[in-house]
Amino acid sequence: MRTLVFIPAWNEEASVAEVIADVGKTLPAADVLVVDDGSGDATGARAREAGALVATLPFNQGLGAALQTGYLYALREGYDFCAHLDADGQHPPAEVVRLLAEVESDRADLVIGSRFHEGAGEAESDDYRATLSRRIGISVFRFFLTLATRQRFTDTTSGMRAANRRVMQLFSENYSPDFAEIESLQLAVREGLRVEEVPVRMLERAGGSSFLTPVRSAFFIFKGVVVLLVGQFRPRHAGGEG
Amino acid sequence: MNFLSLAATADSAKVHLTSQTRIVAAVLALLFMLLILDLIRRDRLQERYSVIWFVAGLGMLVGAAFPGILEFVADLMGVRDTNVALFSIVLLLLLGLALNFSVIMSRQAAQITRLAQERAIEQARAQAAEGRNGNGAPTADVRTGEHRRT
Repeated sequence: MRTLVFIPAWNEEASVAEVIADVGKTLPAADVLVVDDGSGDATGARAREAGALVATLPFNQGLGAALQTGYLYALREGYDFCAHLDADGQHPPAEVVRLLAEVESDRADLVIGSRFHEGAGEAESDDYRATLSRRIGISVFRFFLTLATRQRFTDTTSGMRAANRRVMQLFSENYSPDFAEIESLQLAVREGLRVEEVPVRMLERAGGSSFLTPVRSAFFIFKGVVVLLVGQFRPRHAGGEG
Repeated sequence: MNFLSLAATADSAKVHLTSQTRIVAAVLALLFMLLILDLIRRDRLQERYSVIWFVAGLGMLVGAAFPGILEFVADLMGVRDTNVALFSIVLLLLLGLALNFSVIMSRQAAQITRLAQERAIEQARAQAAEGRNGNGAPTADVRTGEHRRT
């Protein structure tokens, strides 16, 4: 049973090595792949020094394309399971272990690590403080995604996930480059995959800053709602077979 | 009587293309098609993207040669001024062309992304193979947290 943990990274030279070392300690049996999304800094070099495999996109393609690269690599190289987490140190690898346990025991095809899930003990925990615009965005997406999928999701933009080969197959062919997190959930549910949320603890960002300013997040939210609406009318694929 | 006079004023208010407009349009259409031919000849425009422009040029030429067609279309649209009808048609065509280009652009963007991904994966695969053949698997390095290139 082989597991790949991949980390999409764009200009994260400050934190990427530490994340790789953490993953290595927590998941010693897993292979680690950093998808360097056209970084202008030394992200790729830091990752290689830290002992990770590095897939370098020649130019910045956006989070969706970077994640898809990870799924594609996992699929082609015959990994049984894969997981991904952010390169900025927000996601403790110990929590990834719990996500992977869910797919390994075949309780779900795709598992999302949620900051807000009830039963997280400390829902909206002290560890993680979201800004106002981010909170608004999160609740808008939560509402529309729940409407679209008829399944409750609390943390739609979470970048910490674990998946099996069925998901790798789907995501390596169909993954929105612009709206990775939300549209992928909608897609997975539409294709009949079992998607599950698991409460996780997340930390403050170790390096870099969030890209969301109020104007940008308003645009982000608008775009997200349009994408979800259009996604409802997409033709279904044959997929879902493993 | 009332109805008749109304119809008469409507007819007299119709604006037709002048012969001057028609000549200018025909000359422009011919120049336009020559330009497209030249672009293809110098490999600046691929044939598959030139067809639509040729059709546009021919349409212009036909419109200039047989103004009756345009006037018929103008009547269908309920527009009294043939020039306005002409503008509307051209605007719609341009809208369609712009959309067509967006579709082509989206396809090419997807192709470029896939190309970049294939290259990135190939690179990681080579690195993995190198790790297996060389001094220990890269995963072993992750486990110990040691630097691979020392």
